[in-house]
Amino acid sequence: MDRRELLKVIALFTGAAMVGGELILSGCKSDNPRPVPFTPDILALLDEVGETIIPETDSPGAKAARVSEVMKTVVTDCYWPEQQKAFMEGVHHIDVESNARFGKKFVEAAPQQRKELLIALEEEAKKYNEEQNKKDEPRREALKKQDKEFDFIASPKHYYTMMKQLTLLAYFSSEEGLTKALNYIPVPGRYDGAYRIKKGDKAFSG
Amino acid sequence: MIDNVYDAIVIGSGIAGGWAAKELAEKGLKVLMLERGRNHEHIKDYVNANKDPWEYPRRGQRTREMIETHPVLKRDYPLDERVLNMWVNEQESPYVEEKRFDWYRGYHLGGRSLLWGRQSYRFNKWDFEANAKEGIAADWPIRYEDIAPWYSYVERFAGIQGSKQGLEVLPDGEFLPAVEMNIVEKDLANNLKKHYQNKRHMFIGRSANITLPKPEQNRVNCQYRNKCWLGCPFGAYFSTQSSTLPAAKATGNLSVEVNKIVTRLLYDKDSKKATGVEAIDAENNRTYDYKAKIIFVCASAFNSTWILMNSATDIWPEGLGSSSGELGHNVMDHHFRCGAGGTVEGYEEYAEYGRRPSGIYIPRFRNVYDDRRDYLRGFGYQGGAGRGRGVEVPEMLGAEFKEAMCVPGKWHMGMTGFGEMLPYHENTIKLDKEQKDKWGLPVLRMNVEIKENEKKMRVDMMEDAKEMLEAMGVKDVWTYDSGYAPGMGIHEMGTARMGRDPKTSVLNGNNQVWDAPNVFVTDGACMTSSSCVNPSLTYMALTARAADFAVKELKKMNI
Repeated sequence: MDRRELLKVIALFTGAAMVGGELILSGCKSDNPRPVPFTPDILALLDEVGETIIPETDSPGAKAARVSEVMKTVVTDCYWPEQQKAFMEGVHHIDVESNARFGKKFVEAAPQQRKELLIALEEEAKKYNEEQNKKDEPRREALKKQDKEFDFIASPKHYYTMMKQLTLLAYFSSEEGLTKALNYIPVPGRYDGAYRIKKGDKAFSG
Repeated sequence: MIDNVYDAIVIGSGIAGGWAAKELAEKGLKVLMLERGRNHEHIKDYVNANKDPWEYPRRGQRTREMIETHPVLKRDYPLDERVLNMWVNEQESPYVEEKRFDWYRGYHLGGRSLLWGRQSYRFNKWDFEANAKEGIAADWPIRYEDIAPWYSYVERFAGIQGSKQGLEVLPDGEFLPAVEMNIVEKDLANNLKKHYQNKRHMFIGRSANITLPKPEQNRVNCQYRNKCWLGCPFGAYFSTQSSTLPAAKATGNLSVEVNKIVTRLLYDKDSKKATGVEAIDAENNRTYDYKAKIIFVCASAFNSTWILMNSATDIWPEGLGSSSGELGHNVMDHHFRCGAGGTVEGYEEYAEYGRRPSGIYIPRFRNVYDDRRDYLRGFGYQGGAGRGRGVEVPEMLGAEFKEAMCVPGKWHMGMTGFGEMLPYHENTIKLDKEQKDKWGLPVLRMNVEIKENEKKMRVDMMEDAKEMLEAMGVKDVWTYDSGYAPGMGIHEMGTARMGRDPKTSVLNGNNQVWDAPNVFVTDGACMTSSSCVNPSLTYMALTARAADFAVKELKKMNI
């Protein structure tokens, strides 16, 4: 699967355009952004969030694909400071929520509890992102009128949306995801536009 | 100094420059090719061509630094870490936007021949006649018949896959076996033909990807990876590196110098000819002179004109070719980014194996034969049908969700119009009076916009796409206009147009500068109108034709 297709899939399944790598507001330079403190504990948490979204089945899950490493790199290099802040606050929030609900940290919660929490966050994120989009609309329209839509930068999406997007990005570009969960054909050698498949066959990737 | 004397100098190494070098060297001339950027070796320097997606630590996401250092490139898809070193350094080579202009440049050996979309179409006979018939701009000094044999000549060498359709609106060429349409596209194409009584057509986009090996050029046929952008280790798409450069080198007549920025043509006012070029070395800033009997200016449209603007200014303050009053005027591009898409029901038992390097093409049907619109000219469509990935399930995470994300999704079909832009005298590039680049050279100032004709056309580009998709049986059709700024098509044309009269054109019918007949401009700068089809094949044909003419004239001692 090519990159653009992956970004489309992510947008479709998270209800938001891929966060990070959008364009910057003039005058909002990211000089010396503070280094983002990804501790081993945080990486472990992110791997478990990822694994809850994409668990190990007959193919490896998000943890085996080390999605937390990709999250760390993308958040550090590609997110704007405001997005980084929202992401890191989210990391904290997940444990706050988990403690409130289950009396333990997310990584210590049972798999079913983790699922329950993330499903709740998904609902919360949907509402939150709609509000953020509504808030952004006049700014976006104004830039569009000046023919400068490329300078638009969205307000941070809900932290769970970011985590889910990064999980999907990382997993479906990882060796584990592409070669085990999908049918990876790096050099097809030929083209067949009427290739027969059966129900349940894995999608091709490249 | 004696070392710097050649029969011919070719400025630029992209599609036009590569062809000029090959043709001139094969005809026995000692040729020097000057490239302003670095060397880029075939295969060896395609460093990302065989990388797997997981080898990119950010998995292709743009970094803040990339965005901040690429104020132009960031505006659209070209800003991508996989090809970051294939686009110009914007800090070193700025320009001024009086109006927004997105200028995507490739300053390295091979230029944008390594990055191009490879779509390869002939202009039709009406494209060459329209300006004269409609009283627009100036008449082309050539007709389809003049260029047709040269289209054939370059198609055979470059290798163009495509299917013959027998349409006047998009003349057939010398094709390699066509890449296939997929099963959905084939059915939709039949529906289209039926619905419009054989007046609208959809077939595979003709492209410079070889479907049979070309052992004489050391090129292997396409492997359907669709990674052309990264440089093809198989040499399966046409580029300077894969095709014209090796042929030119094989003659033993070609010298190549990289990192040489040509600053002006040296002009002798007594003989009314250029005697050579002046260049500065991009790395050490030293100035070099090179002498030659003929010069091919193929530096990409705007940079070719920039060189003319800086030449012979003691005689013509606005530069060589400015006596016409048209140098720097009539900028064109193709406007696009609007069309429609939708989903196709069924075909669940089929998928595509392999990734094609070309989609479908629907040639122009507006203002053709008895069709009349309230604007001039027309547009074609590029697009295709494909299967998405992932099906929607109620679960938002977990095993069922994962499973649903790993299977093929629905088929969808989309198309984007590519429209002709008229040559407007007031759409210009000029030398800016203040700003300089890294080497202290003046930079260009862009003042280009689309006007009513293009805006009216865009409505059709969107609405016609919707109507056709629905007629073909596509469901849930949606339309879009993502907006267009000049330059986004990366098809810069005009600024030194060909014509019949030195008072209204910079070049004659053989691409000679009227005021310096041993100077030939054969890249996008020479275009008198833009058609709606991708232009590179036309640059190839015009270049080969001009090179043939130049060598004959040289032998007759006419230049």
